[in-house]
Amino acid sequence: MLLPVFTLKLRHKISPRMVAIGRYDGTHPCLAAATQAGKVFIHNPHTRSQHFSASRVFQSPLESDVSLLNINQAVSCLTAGVLNPELGYDALLVGTQTNLLAYDVYNNSDLFYREVADGANAIVLGTLGDISSPLAIIGGNCALQGFDYEGNDLFWTVTGDNVHSLALCDFDGDGKKELLVGSEDFDIRVFKEDEIVAEMTETEIITSLCPMYGSRFGYALSNGTVGVYDKTARYWRIKSKNHAVSIHAFDLNSDGVCELITGWSNGKVDARSDRTGEVIFKDNFSSAIAGVVEGDYRMDGHVQLICCSVDGEIRGYLPGTAEMRGNLMDTSVEQDLIRELSQKKQNLLLELRNYEENAKAELSSPLNEADGHGGIIPANTKLHTALSVNLGNETQAAHAELCISTSNDTIIRAVLIFAEGIFLGESHVVHPSIHNLSSSIHIPITPPKDVPVDLHLKTFVGYRSSTQFHVFELTRQLPRFSMYALTSPDSGSEPLSYVNFTIAERAQRVVIWLNQNFLLPEDTNIQNAPFQVCFTSLRNGGQLYIKIKLSGEITVNTDDIDLAGDVIQSMASFFAIEDLQVEAEFPVYFEELRKVLVKVDEYHSVHQKLSADMADNSNLIRSLLVQAEDARLMRDMKTMKNRYMELYGLNKDLLNGYKIRCNNHTELLGNLKAVNQAIQRAGRLRVGKPKNQVITACRDAIRSNNINMLFRIMRVGTASS
Amino acid sequence: MDLNLNRTDYLQVGVTSHKTMKLLPASRHRATQKVVIGDHDGVVLCFGMKKGEAVTVFKTLPGQKIARLELGGVLNTPQEKIFIAAGSEIRGFTKRGKQFLSFETNLTESIKAMHISGSDLFLSASYIYNHYCDCKDQHYYLSGDKINDVICLPVERLPRMTPVLACQDRVLRVLQGSDVMYEVEVPGPPTVLALHNGNGGDSGEDLLFGTSDGKLGLIQITTSKPIHKWEIRNEKTRGGILCVDSYDIVGDGVKDLLVGRDDGMVEVYSFDNANEPVLRFDQALSESVTSIQGGCVGKDGYDEIVVSTYSGWVTGLTTEPVHKESGPGEELKINQEMQNKISSLRSELEHLQFKVLQEREKYQQSSQSSKAKSAVPSFSVNDKFTLNKDDASYSLILEVQTAIDNVLIQSDVPIDLLDVDKNSAVVSFSSCDSESNDNFLLATYRCQANTTRLELKIRSIEGQYGTLQAYVTPRIQPKTCQVRQYLIKPLSLHQRTHFIDHDRPMNTLTLTGQFSFAEVHSWVVFCLPEVPEKPPAGECVTFYFQNTFLDTQLESTYRKGEGVFKSDNISTISILKDVLSKEATKRKINLNISYEINEVSVKHTLKLIHPKLEYQLLLAKKVQLIDALKELQVHEGNTNFLIPEYRCILEEADHLQEEYKKQPAHLERLYGMITDLFIDKFKFKGTNVKTKVPLLLEILDSYDQNALIAFFDAT
Repeated sequence: MLLPVFTLKLRHKISPRMVAIGRYDGTHPCLAAATQAGKVFIHNPHTRSQHFSASRVFQSPLESDVSLLNINQAVSCLTAGVLNPELGYDALLVGTQTNLLAYDVYNNSDLFYREVADGANAIVLGTLGDISSPLAIIGGNCALQGFDYEGNDLFWTVTGDNVHSLALCDFDGDGKKELLVGSEDFDIRVFKEDEIVAEMTETEIITSLCPMYGSRFGYALSNGTVGVYDKTARYWRIKSKNHAVSIHAFDLNSDGVCELITGWSNGKVDARSDRTGEVIFKDNFSSAIAGVVEGDYRMDGHVQLICCSVDGEIRGYLPGTAEMRGNLMDTSVEQDLIRELSQKKQNLLLELRNYEENAKAELSSPLNEADGHGGIIPANTKLHTALSVNLGNETQAAHAELCISTSNDTIIRAVLIFAEGIFLGESHVVHPSIHNLSSSIHIPITPPKDVPVDLHLKTFVGYRSSTQFHVFELTRQLPRFSMYALTSPDSGSEPLSYVNFTIAERAQRVVIWLNQNFLLPEDTNIQNAPFQVCFTSLRNGGQLYIKIKLSGEITVNTDDIDLAGDVIQSMASFFAIEDLQVEAEFPVYFEELRKVLVKVDEYHSVHQKLSADMADNSNLIRSLLVQAEDARLMRDMKTMKNRYMELYGLNKDLLNGYKIRCNNHTELLGNLKAVNQAIQRAGRLRVGKPKNQVITACRDAIRSNNINMLFRIMRVGTASS
Repeated sequence: MDLNLNRTDYLQVGVTSHKTMKLLPASRHRATQKVVIGDHDGVVLCFGMKKGEAVTVFKTLPGQKIARLELGGVLNTPQEKIFIAAGSEIRGFTKRGKQFLSFETNLTESIKAMHISGSDLFLSASYIYNHYCDCKDQHYYLSGDKINDVICLPVERLPRMTPVLACQDRVLRVLQGSDVMYEVEVPGPPTVLALHNGNGGDSGEDLLFGTSDGKLGLIQITTSKPIHKWEIRNEKTRGGILCVDSYDIVGDGVKDLLVGRDDGMVEVYSFDNANEPVLRFDQALSESVTSIQGGCVGKDGYDEIVVSTYSGWVTGLTTEPVHKESGPGEELKINQEMQNKISSLRSELEHLQFKVLQEREKYQQSSQSSKAKSAVPSFSVNDKFTLNKDDASYSLILEVQTAIDNVLIQSDVPIDLLDVDKNSAVVSFSSCDSESNDNFLLATYRCQANTTRLELKIRSIEGQYGTLQAYVTPRIQPKTCQVRQYLIKPLSLHQRTHFIDHDRPMNTLTLTGQFSFAEVHSWVVFCLPEVPEKPPAGECVTFYFQNTFLDTQLESTYRKGEGVFKSDNISTISILKDVLSKEATKRKINLNISYEINEVSVKHTLKLIHPKLEYQLLLAKKVQLIDALKELQVHEGNTNFLIPEYRCILEEADHLQEEYKKQPAHLERLYGMITDLFIDKFKFKGTNVKTKVPLLLEILDSYDQNALIAFFDAT
């Protein structure tokens, strides 16, 4: 069994995910981690620490080999690594919601300190694509920014939603690193520099990403899922009721391939094979894991896997030796195998017995009430499922409807639907009361997003008095646009907003696409091109028109820019379109965006004004304090009192000012997010190269503060006319 | 000495009940012993281990489910005759497997427990106890509550015959002939009895008991009175005790106590100089341990603990080291043995798989025909639904012989489902439309592979009653599910007790009317947990209960035509009144309900709540401070500048946090009960004070005992 080679207990708490190992002096690996009260501690067990006496760093009063770094703000991400290759040692990077600090621990100086308006939720350090110098890439509010060692902003792009995790990985195998971005809209996006080359939709917020080797990478979601992707294909995933705090790739069994090491919120650490997800090693801490890193912490030439818990417990593991033959757990493999095989045998025997008993039951008398109690049902019982659109009534909002019915007098006791992303949890249960049991059930489904979802149904079928039920398991796919009902084209006024594009596909193929992605009534008959179909959204009643001309020109009318994007992306993947230029017009949305942009300017100027005020006030404080102290020395109590009264008032003002600044900042963040999202949305209306062009051009337009240009780009897709 | 035991699995039989596996006596000291085990298929299997392979000595044909298996024989000779209890029949086998006895007892209920001593046979069904000598009926006793186990003090060492019954109502009944000599109250419902050291200890009167809430104790049963010797409380909240045995596994010449629990825990206690038990070893298996015995099975010369589990695994925890310090050739041989075993298993599996495929096809085909029927394969679910006294919550334990796929929990009353750390299953709460379908809780537990046991914790609210249903779907083909129902009773947090404090101020509720004894008993059963379903013998009966959360009490005395309920908690009376009148109306029985409210009782109850509330408030306050204090500590480097109170908090931080985590929503529950008390107090006066509840909550927020009492009095 694999045992830790060292165990340390630091008396500092460690914030989850905020752990990094770096050689800050070029030779000794030290552990840096964020702790309480906006501090970062650096554990240096190797050298009796030189006593720093600068303002930022001070000796921890609790432990001799730990120094503390004051950030004075909640740390939101932390990493260490080579930022300036000429320096020969690692830099420590600390991100907060407003700033990024690159810190030279050895010389106790800042490399740079940059204000980042979008915040820094995640950070990764390394080289990206063809950019020669290493970058510290931070992900914030829908935005990605990369800084070199001088703090120059060399990389900037936007993504769909708030970024939660970042990783660098050679995704396409060209020897250069791509950036993996996991965001709040459940998407993992792959950026080849600033071009999106792949997008994978997951089922929850992606909290961690880590490169494994080659194009393989691990991921973790906020619902307790961890797994491994190879390029865009998921190899495996498992779900736990605990949350994966930190994932890391490390070859623990010395077989030359990295395993996925996961640190869990319940204090468990496990190592899983990258191919199968099988657990090859596990250990338990007494509190939640804060981070999993690797480093040669004992300076003996062997790299250890280092796991830290939030309570400051640190354990290091050396990879298993050859004699262990990958057997890292204490039970012998053979024993386990035998147990597993016996269990399998027992299950098969049980199944066999079930069939035997069934045969016996068949021979006995015809079906009667008593049989129903034991759960005997006619063998030809079948389950029908149908998906349709229900327009709703006064008591119930419109929804997509799943209808399940049995083919005879048996009843459905309960239906369990396991599906990801459309229910609050992972499952939805329909359990009618004993009086309302029947042989058919209608289940309303309202997916919050337009994504295709697999519904795994488990239906309990039996009789009213049964205590045992048959479980019918089947899977139905909910089409992407199930929340849109087909209506007659003249039933509403056509939306003013539209997108317009041309594809080289026959109209029949478009009809097939319609059939696969919408819930069309069975008797729908769509004639040849040109034709138009009209849908009404069940969520807000908005209209969606899709018109096709003989030339293959398609116009999609909708006021919902996201929906238009979804339609285009769905069509593009269905018809395998690589590049698609689109003309778009969304007057209402553009108007809103214009207002947002104006607001952003306003908030910026308010922000500057407030900062100036604050600076003024702090000068005032200084002078008041001096005056008050002078008065005290002069024993002029009255003046002193007055000065302190003024100071008190000023303090109050400052506090108020701070509140205003806070509000202003949140507003600003919200609006910046809206702007970033607008760019992303404009991109989603196009496919392939035009998409990247739009995003790049939009960004340039925003940089040069040319609002009219921005809208032009969003409309026609290019900057030049 | 450190006890180090290694696990080896021997073989698997069908599902087993508890106390159904025994080791046959060895021919000489430390020689290998044969294992005999009976399962739910009715098969008795006797096997020994030879070179790591299980060799069957004999195996009987399937029959009725085997509830008990004991060894017997002529006194003072090796006990090597095998007796089994199946249905209402007792059968005896020699160690070679020859049946020499078949005794039909003609009991109306099937036998639950059995003890054998020479030619004396002690049997108990659910409520009935019978003593036979040479298969002739000797004595008989009808118990007031379910009998879980029966034992007789060793007749070869004592001049008398003293059978002891372990009854569900937390009582050991010591019998003499057909009469109860005396009753011994134990801290939980006793599930298992055993003679201390296997022979009754020094006195021959020492009796071990284990309870379903995980407590262990030793009692000396003298002729006149019981003497409690020691008791092990279940501090780690492990599972209930299913089996115990005495065996010197540590090797210090003193027999150790081996314990198997229903959460898969195997424990070894050894005794210190003061004869107090000390935990020496524990290991968790994945399913409940139904039988345990010390002996020698795998290899002669190596002591081991042999256990059988619910799904029928016979497993040894042996002192034999896994990695033998011997030549490389030996190692190879062991490996070879393993490989042989594996390959034979594999080929067996292949064969089975082929057969199953054929059958599956047949099954599929049958579904085409219109006449055929499809039966649901039955599987057994081992379940336990018990109230935990410590945190006043229910725990529901479900165990299936094969891996569980998912469990659906449905309830038609508002209850809280709490997380249990031991579970690895992914829980998901579904939205429920309570109005039309009576669903207040719908949750699915999707189990990880190889989970055979699931534990849930449920918090109920007194006064809200209904049914909790669990739909268990195991991973077997054809897929089926079984539903289990559990009643959440109106006074769900009450527990049976045998003594109450009669000096407390009591409120009384009196029922009179034209109802029979059975009827009023059924109402009591409906309202309160731990009451036997069968109406007890006699004309009039009294039960005492204790509220596990507030420690208030309830006394219920009833007979034909009259029922009297007394409690110091006005809310208890109010709930009873509501439920009883509703039940009576449902059955169209004319009931006269009268009540007598004692004003002092409200103050008394508030005083009972006071220390709990104060403790919780203080705890919450302390826990809130911990983080801030720790930060100060980090900043200043020491804690000398803090006042002692704060320093104390820092020192106890871990303990406090644990305590706080253990009792989630405890404060809210207390608030809820005080609010109920307030409303109920005035309900009996005929005033509705619901509008004043916000005011009450305000007072609770800045809690002061006197202010609260004043508020209760003033309104």
